[in-house]
Parts: sequence; C-alpha cells; structure tokens
Amino acid sequence: MGNSVAGVATRARTSEVDFALIGHPESWRAAADVLAVLRGPERTPLPDDEIKDILPWIPPRAVCHVDIASIVDARARGLYIDSFIPPDRLEADDVHENIARVRKAAACAIEAGAKIVSLGGFSSILIEGNFDQLPERHDTVFTTGNTLTAGFIVQGIQKMCALEGRDLSRSTLLIVGATGDVGSGCARCLAPVVQRVLLSARKVERLRRLAAELQDDGVQIEVATDLQQFSVEADVVICAASLPSPSLLLGRIAPDAIVCDAGYPKNLSPTAEMLDAKVFFGGLGQITGGMKFTPDFHGVLNRHPFPDVVHGCLLEGMALALEHRFEPFSQGRGFITPQRVHEIETIAARHGIYLAPLYNADGPLEDGLDAGWNGREESMGTCTEQ
Amino acid sequence: MEPVTSLDRSPMACTSLSTSAPIWQDILAQAMTGEVLAAMNYASLSEISDDPAEVADALEHAEGERGHAASFAAEGRKIGVDVANNVDAKHWKRLREAFLRCITERDFIGCLIVQEIMLESFAVASYSRVAKVAPGSLGETFARIGAEEEDHVDHAMSILRAERARDAQRFDDKVYRLHLEVMTTLAQMLAKECKDGHCEVCHARCVKPSLFDVRLSAAELRGASLQQYLKTLDMLGLPGEVTLTWVTQLPV
Repeated sequence: MGNSVAGVATRARTSEVDFALIGHPESWRAAADVLAVLRGPERTPLPDDEIKDILPWIPPRAVCHVDIASIVDARARGLYIDSFIPPDRLEADDVHENIARVRKAAACAIEAGAKIVSLGGFSSILIEGNFDQLPERHDTVFTTGNTLTAGFIVQGIQKMCALEGRDLSRSTLLIVGATGDVGSGCARCLAPVVQRVLLSARKVERLRRLAAELQDDGVQIEVATDLQQFSVEADVVICAASLPSPSLLLGRIAPDAIVCDAGYPKNLSPTAEMLDAKVFFGGLGQITGGMKFTPDFHGVLNRHPFPDVVHGCLLEGMALALEHRFEPFSQGRGFITPQRVHEIETIAARHGIYLAPLYNADGPLEDGLDAGWNGREESMGTCTEQ
Repeated sequence: MEPVTSLDRSPMACTSLSTSAPIWQDILAQAMTGEVLAAMNYASLSEISDDPAEVADALEHAEGERGHAASFAAEGRKIGVDVANNVDAKHWKRLREAFLRCITERDFIGCLIVQEIMLESFAVASYSRVAKVAPGSLGETFARIGAEEEDHVDHAMSILRAERARDAQRFDDKVYRLHLEVMTTLAQMLAKECKDGHCEVCHARCVKPSLFDVRLSAAELRGASLQQYLKTLDMLGLPGEVTLTWVTQLPV
C-alpha cells in the first residue's frame, strides 16, 4: 500500500474526532484542485470535462483530517467532509438531492464519532430550517455556524467603516436576504447602531415580522421584496443572500457604498458594475493558533489570500470544540441575537479566532495581520450585549 | 444493502429497437461476457473451498451466472442479433487473471473482494442504468439480473465484514492491492473512449460513442459504477477519505 494512503487509513481508525466540517466545492476550479491533490502530483490532473462527469457521482465522505490549535494551548482534531454537491446544482430544483447529500455527509460525521458538526456554506442554508431531516444521532450535535458568521459580517462592516472613515451611526443599512438566519441576525446586531435599516427578502410576511421586532427598539425600518421600492439609497449593504445579478443593486445604493458580500456563492465584484463601491467578502474568520490539513489541502479547501482563513460557519464548530462546548449553538432560523453573537465571538477570540483580514475578488484590501484595525479587541465586543 | 436496481422500471424505457439493435448487441455482449467470466470465477472458487457449504454456494452462484448469460443471449435473439461473449478479450482476460491469482494463493477472501466488491459493483450499477432505458423485456431482464447480483453482494458482505473485523489493516491492504490490479482494468474499460484500441467484445466499432442513441453514456456508466464501488467499500467500513483517494487515482 502506498505510504500516504496507508497513513491516512491507519489514522482514520485510531484518532478521536472532536469536530466535523461539512462543505462542498465552491466552484469547478475548487473541485478540480481537490481532486488534483487526491490524485497526487505524479499523475496528470483530470481534464475539466472529466471532473464534471465524475464529481456528481462521488458519495459524501471525509476528504481530510483537520487539526487546529488555540492560542491558549487547546487543540482539537476534526474531519472535513465533502457533500460533493456539484457547484452548478445549487438551485431550488436540486434541493431534495442536495438535502440528501447533506444528510449522508452528516451520517459520515456521526459514524466518525464527531462530537460537534458545523454545516458550511450552502449546507447550512439547506438545513437551517430542516434540522429534523438530519440523521438520528446520540453523541453528535450540529450547528449551522450562523451565529459566528453573523458576528464576522457585523465586525467586517464595522471594520470597513473604520478603514473608510465612515460614521456607521449615520448610515442607511440595506440587508438583502434579511429574513434568513444570518440576515436577521445581522439586522438585530446592527439596527440599534445605524440611522435607518432597509430590509429586503422574498417573503413579505417574514419581512414585516422582522421589521416589527426591530421597530420595538425605535429604529427606522423600511421593507421591500423589490429593491427598487425603497425610498432612499443605502450606503452600507449586507448581501446575506446571493443576488441573481449585482446590477440589481445599481441605483439603489450610494456609488461609494460599503458592500459586504456574505452570500453563497459570493458573486459581487467591485470591478464589474460598482466601480466606486467598497466591496468585501464577509463572514470570514482566521484561526491564528494554526490549522493543519492531512493530506495537505492548504490553499485548496480554504481558497483565500490570507492563511488559515475559514468561513465563520465552520469556525463556530472549531471554536466550540476548542472550548469543549459540544452543544448545538446555532440551530433553526431567527434565533441569532446580539447576546448570542457576543457569546460566540468571546469564545472564538479566547482561542485566537478573529475576523479575517478583508479582501474581495480582486485581492486583499489590507495587509493581513499587520493591518491597523486588527479586530482583536473589538472582536470581544463589537456586538455588545443589549 | 440499499437496493440499486429497481424492478419497477420507468415508462420512458421504450425506444425503438429497429435502429438500436446493434447498440444493444454490444451492450449485451459486454454483459454476457461478464456473466460467463463470473460463472468461471465461481467454478474456480468452488475448487479452493474446504467448507462444503461454501462449495455449494459457489457452484450455485456459478450456475446462476450461467443462467444470466443465457438470459442475455436470449434477449439478443429476441431483437434479432447474435450475442457473442469473449472472456479472452484483453480487459476481461486481465480481470480473470487477477481472480486466478487469488485462486492460486487459495485466497478465498481475495476472490470475494474481486468478484463481489469490484466486478459486481460494476455489474449492479451498469445493469441498473441500462434497465432504466432498455425497452420491454430487455430492460426487465437487466433489472432482474441486477437485483439478483445485489443479493450475491449482500451475501458476501457479511463474510467480508467479519474478516475485516478480525484485522482491519490487513484487510484494507489486501483490498488496496486488488484495487490496483482489478479496478485499474475496470477503469480502462469504463473510460469514455477506448484509447488503447478495440476492446475485442464489441462486434464492430466501439459502442461507446453510440450509447447516447439509447439514452446512455459511457460517463454515466462509469460514474454509477464507481459510486457503487465506493458505497460498497463504505459498507465494509473502509475509511471514505482513503477509498476516495484510490478512486481519484484511477486512469481516465
């Protein structure tokens, strides 16, 4: 047996697993890179058409081990489990097939003995309202990870405002996908600190309910299912859901608006149609104690311009594992409060998990760990307890 | 094991046979060759078994596989084509040789891994896909035989699981060694194009480019087969990340 293969096989049988991360390829390029690592450098990479033929047939399974370290010497061992949802099958037509894939991935996590499982990317969107569809489990808990994602989005907005010299308290905040778990969590955190909030989503009833909840705090709120219906332009935008086209924002936001692309997949580009907008990818954190993949998937599974950057949803499970708090921290939809965000941010920060340096499709917007606003202190309390 | 082959076939399975008969002829020839080879493998297996019950099982399976081959030949006659098998065709011959090496070593478990885990994964998945699109009794025959092959796999799984429970590392090493030998050949057979010449089973040109005419594709048959193989290895308890690596390293 080849050494690398034998090594992984032995380890899979002997190691204890604290956490599991369920994800899927963000793009065909990402899928190709994963398969290239698995094939090894001595074999020619698979052609693109072969990858598109093969990927949809791969059953959900573990791809690699993930070892993480905390800045206070805690360690945790985990598995990355890929549901292998093809990147071009994220539409409503595929929802049942995709939920089945996440279920199977969840079953892999349970079988591996993971104590806590984070649902990454599209997996959490699929499952946040369908937790009852996860397989029966005894010693494994699941979290969507949405609370820490919301926390990092909020921190990102605050950081970008600071970098751009903007006064958030005088801003008009637009949240696209406002009634989703992450969108509504961001709304609860930021509504008290901005001047006006514009909430957009597809379901008007849910919008009205959220607006009523927020208005109790005396915030000016507008709701609309169509962005064109808002009476004012926004100068701070959170896209908590992917827009069918970035052009939908045009004319509805200030030309130099701060735009957080927190949707999945991320599809807002500052160079496309919003030349002066300050676009950044939101919801990302960095684990500064270190992260090791076996086999080595660095830069492949985490395709970011900075090291050890991971989606907040996955980092939530890692932080809880390092804290030995194996509990379903984020479940369901609409339960993210500023208090819960503060709690998970505090846990994360204790283990050296902070807001990632900001970047967008064009590259970094700052110099990584040396950036002036490093988020360390603020990450302990950006979403202050109310 | 969760059934792969459904005996309730889709109503879409009703293409005209007038133009597609030569395509079915080649599909049947591949299937029949696989069944004849399986019959030979079980007959060989009966010769190395010490347990009378295992001998009886192997002989019964051999007889069953011969019956499957005969069924495929009969389906060919129904659509007016001769279905020939060729167990000496280059790929099939290599598969037989791999099995015979296990026989020479009197490796009963190795034989089961080759036949039940590798070759049957290929058969069960392929027959299931063919059954969905093949018209009339042709589709019914593929569905029935696919379901019977699944029963064989279920029977072998309990033996193999018990073997793995005794020494997982040794068992996994053996599976990997056989994987390199057998699945490499199967992957070449399942490639979208036969790059190394004629397979010696198709009666004229390679059938793969014509599979679209009967709503099949080589890519689909390969994908379904490898998926079935991975699922079977999962059920045996092999680590999923390891078996994924094995499969991604196969030739395309």
